[in-house]
Amino acid sequence: MKAESRAAWICLAPSIVGLVFITYLPLASMFVLGFFKWGKGAPDPVFIDLENYIRLFTADPFFKDSIKVTIYFSFLAVTGSMIYSLFIAMLLNRRVPARGFFRAVFYLPYVLPAMAVFLGWAWLYEANFGLFNYILTGLGIEKIRFIADSRYVVLSLALIAVWLSGNLIVIFLAGLQNVPKVYHDAAEIDGANGWQRFRHVTVPCMSPIIFYNLMMALITNMQVVIPALALTNGGPGNSSTFMTYLMYRYAFISNQLGYACGIAFVFFALISVFTIILFATSKSWIFYEGDSH
Amino acid sequence: MGFQGLSFSAKGIRSRRRQEKAANAATLVILIILGALVLLPVWWMFRSSLMTNKELYAYPPDFFPDRWLFSNYRETMKYFPFFRYFANTMTIILPSVIGGTITATMGGYAFARLRFRGKNLLFSLCVGSMLVPTVVTLVPLYIMWTRGLRVVDSYLPLIFPHFCGGGAFNIFLIRQFIKTIPRELDEAATIDGAGPLCILVSIIIPAIKSAMIVVALLLFIMLWNDLMQQMVYINSLEKYTIALGLQQFKGSLGTDWSKLMAATCMSFVPGIVFYLIGQRYFVEGIVMTGMKN
Repeated sequence: MKAESRAAWICLAPSIVGLVFITYLPLASMFVLGFFKWGKGAPDPVFIDLENYIRLFTADPFFKDSIKVTIYFSFLAVTGSMIYSLFIAMLLNRRVPARGFFRAVFYLPYVLPAMAVFLGWAWLYEANFGLFNYILTGLGIEKIRFIADSRYVVLSLALIAVWLSGNLIVIFLAGLQNVPKVYHDAAEIDGANGWQRFRHVTVPCMSPIIFYNLMMALITNMQVVIPALALTNGGPGNSSTFMTYLMYRYAFISNQLGYACGIAFVFFALISVFTIILFATSKSWIFYEGDSH
Repeated sequence: MGFQGLSFSAKGIRSRRRQEKAANAATLVILIILGALVLLPVWWMFRSSLMTNKELYAYPPDFFPDRWLFSNYRETMKYFPFFRYFANTMTIILPSVIGGTITATMGGYAFARLRFRGKNLLFSLCVGSMLVPTVVTLVPLYIMWTRGLRVVDSYLPLIFPHFCGGGAFNIFLIRQFIKTIPRELDEAATIDGAGPLCILVSIIIPAIKSAMIVVALLLFIMLWNDLMQQMVYINSLEKYTIALGLQQFKGSLGTDWSKLMAATCMSFVPGIVFYLIGQRYFVEGIVMTGMKN
């Protein structure tokens, strides 16, 4: 028993160091630093009470927009990638030739380095010579400046996020393969059409997987920062200044460390609220097999 | 009556089979179209990398280059030292992946098998840390490394955290795997006088090799796509990774799109090669992470 617990502490030592120094201590410091002014104009931290937060909510020209943009982007990216990946997974779940090949095709974007992906898409979105405008003009639609137009930039970036969601497809596919075929057959005998079978058989059976993917997609997309870092620098205007990017800018470009921690805290609170809502509502729509439901 | 019914149902089966065949053919067609759409951006980047800039700005654009200018790649390498960037990237990724996989395995083993005081509390803290996004702790960690420990322009802040448990999710994944291994194996080894660490090395690790590969792959993808931390911690040009190099290249070249696309396509290669080699485990891994419910 003694040897066992000694071994346990040896095995867990690295994880404990990580939990303390990489997660919880920085998390606590983030919270504390939010009450300090540090960096620009204050070489040493100065306690300023709630001033950072007051400035955030009353005087910051970027902050409120950054919340809106973050939520708008996550909404588009999460719904888009959930629908896209479930649809593709359902197609791949049918008995078609070269399934492995198709799976690789849809998964491919996920293994490309993010920076290169966004650079490549910048060229596709290019206003005059890009592929998309060529297609649009071919369809008789006026050219769009995509990421250079504040009306379309978030939508354009969300489209890339959907394109990148190959991992969701694979998880959905795994889930679909576990849906018992007898349920579908039974529903069909009862005269259920394709949509009804999807609605009343596939969705309930897949609900734990849908929940998991929804959670993953939400957390990933709320943290969106790379497109702003790689492509848009938050622009045009503030139309792609996501919360994480705003935090980055304050912390590492204008050197306002305490203030950036204030943003980090609001971001953390927001993402927690969404997670909690998702968890709280999940009980009513998640169906576990073997439940007396 | 019986006879009639029989022939009717046989006909029914035949028509159902025909229906299914038609549906599968339709699925295949949709998959081909959607697959082509998903690959189109990648093709467009590749074809752009083989063109002269003049050809690139031609209208209407060509889907295939006139002459395949592979010399673009040689040209690009003069400004975009791909191999050095690749080596730098691997200098971060390889130790991180190894450290993360080993420490996650150790942690997972302790949580799955060993008895010690405070286990439940520690496990909750570990699972709870999954809900802390990396951006939230970025600023305090940056302060810790650069001001506290005075580590500047170094790979250490990018590598070291992975030697601290390799992430709660991976610990959790390993734990789930070890739980599927029959305990009798350990017990037999204990009777033979093996200690817990000896059991880990001689029994558990060989049995969960595939799970460890999965963890390594997940870590690889995560690091491969991490741009923000690299931007925060690395300053000098000779230490640049592929992602940082691309960003710098984009800034310095402006609108020389054919060279930019050549650099982009070069950066795609390691991920694609890695995916083709590890495809089997890759998909398995994603599937398993999706099945943790």
